[in-house]
Amino acid sequence: MQQFEAEHKIINPEDFEKNFSTLNLGPTHPATHGIFQNILTMNGETIEDAVQTIGYIHRAFEKIAEWRPYYQITPLTDRLNYCSAPINNLGWHMTVEKLLGIKSTKRIDYMRIIVMELARIADHLICNSVIGVDSGALTGFVYMFEKREMIYDIYEEICGARLTSNIGRIGGFDRDFTPSVIQKIRELLVELPKTINQFENLLMRNRIFMDRTINVGSISAERALNYSFSGPCLRAAGVDYDVRVMNPYSSYEDFDFTIPLGINGDTYDRFCVRQEEIKQSLHLIKSALENLPVGAYHMDVPEFYLPPKDKVYSEMESLIWHFKIVMGEINVPVGEVYHAVEGGNGELGFYLVSDGGRTPFRLHFRRPGFIYYQAFPEMIKGSVLSDAILTMSSMNVIAGELDA
Amino acid sequence: MDNEFIIQQLKEKFPDKVLKIDTSSDMLMMEIAKNAICDVVLFLKNELNFIYLTSLCGVHYPEQALPLGVVYHLHNLQDNILLRLKVFLSDEDPHIDTCVEIFSAANWMERETFDFYGIIFDGHPNLIRILNVEYMDYHPMRKEYPLEDSTRTDKDDKFFGR
Repeated sequence: MQQFEAEHKIINPEDFEKNFSTLNLGPTHPATHGIFQNILTMNGETIEDAVQTIGYIHRAFEKIAEWRPYYQITPLTDRLNYCSAPINNLGWHMTVEKLLGIKSTKRIDYMRIIVMELARIADHLICNSVIGVDSGALTGFVYMFEKREMIYDIYEEICGARLTSNIGRIGGFDRDFTPSVIQKIRELLVELPKTINQFENLLMRNRIFMDRTINVGSISAERALNYSFSGPCLRAAGVDYDVRVMNPYSSYEDFDFTIPLGINGDTYDRFCVRQEEIKQSLHLIKSALENLPVGAYHMDVPEFYLPPKDKVYSEMESLIWHFKIVMGEINVPVGEVYHAVEGGNGELGFYLVSDGGRTPFRLHFRRPGFIYYQAFPEMIKGSVLSDAILTMSSMNVIAGELDA
Repeated sequence: MDNEFIIQQLKEKFPDKVLKIDTSSDMLMMEIAKNAICDVVLFLKNELNFIYLTSLCGVHYPEQALPLGVVYHLHNLQDNILLRLKVFLSDEDPHIDTCVEIFSAANWMERETFDFYGIIFDGHPNLIRILNVEYMDYHPMRKEYPLEDSTRTDKDDKFFGR
């Protein structure tokens, strides 16, 4: 209680009427990019206090997951951070593989890296172009979205879907990268850096943009760690924690890449960190594509990986496995794992408890956005309303991830 | 620093509070007595560098004598060690001390745990529901609540092996 009082000013009602006004920002407001409500206490144009209300699109994924066979949970993870759905999907597949004790082959790992880095780029493209929009530069947004479209085309080529991708399977991918996928990725590798350069020329050293973002919504490294920040928001504050390097998964240890860091933890640093991460991701995709080993695109896990359709029609065993998987009749061994991947917004963790049944006994999603969004009032206190909007978009809070 | 060192340090400092130690899963797991959890977390943070609260969530084992669990994942970023702490509570007395003073991040995680499991974090500054509606009168993630209304008759699931 003491801490609450220290953080939130207690004002008696008469003084309140005289000095402050209450502003309801959200739940639906064009500037908040999603369903967020902030009840702001304003002193003129300055924010004195903010209280967030979340849960408007809560869909009870953790509960639903306890009643679904493992392969049906992948579509649920799509809807967490829907700007980088493939990372969530593949993170979930890797969690299950960790529980089962399967070690994936290098080709699958590299294919996964390519897909996950594409998703990271898509995520950062949206976030950074939206920072531009919120500071008044709509132009960059349009160009960046054109390039995001290229990434979505690649998803579509790989898995048939665009936004909620449901990409890959437990044990690998449902099909190999076609030549057209490879070609589209190569096209992206050529086209995207050009647009990134244009975008950076537009904003990075732009006086107006710098004035709007430098020292806006800053947070110290110590506070950021205390609030369990992760991802670009933590790295912008100067802490070099990246799951890809700290606890490498999917053979990230094979690659040489840089983790960009900020200093002040403000909106500008978050923007720059994301911008640099896009370039690093491009580099990762390039080297993964060049070194893509030959081999099978899925592992031999008949309990989880659907057999090819023609075999289902002609072989008894495949038919049995197909039936068992689709009907969710696979018992999963007892165990408990925590697996984290570096999502678009930070450490996306899956805490999975299995009691030997066909569904998870407990599945908890560690959603980075949910955890660091609680620092929002602290970051905007004392700033003006327009800065709060920018801070929010630079934190890249995604409603789906927030509410699970 | 390795798991043995952590276990030894904790056993020295809290001889009768570490109830169970399990190294068989993916990380060191310890069951802590419920009255000591804050002290243990604080000790781990200050002395052993577990400065990062990765996650905090509830879990419900209806078969157990102490059915309600709270699971903490702590991360030592310097030596890169992950640690899982568990505390079990009874149905009659689902109270546990809050960690908000130690980790600000625990605020919403504890609210979420309260919302879903009805675990009450004593000393929490603002323990109200976070994702569900305020007027909900039960804690939906507990195992006694099935996903769908069990009185529903228009759907027959007996062929689906769930």
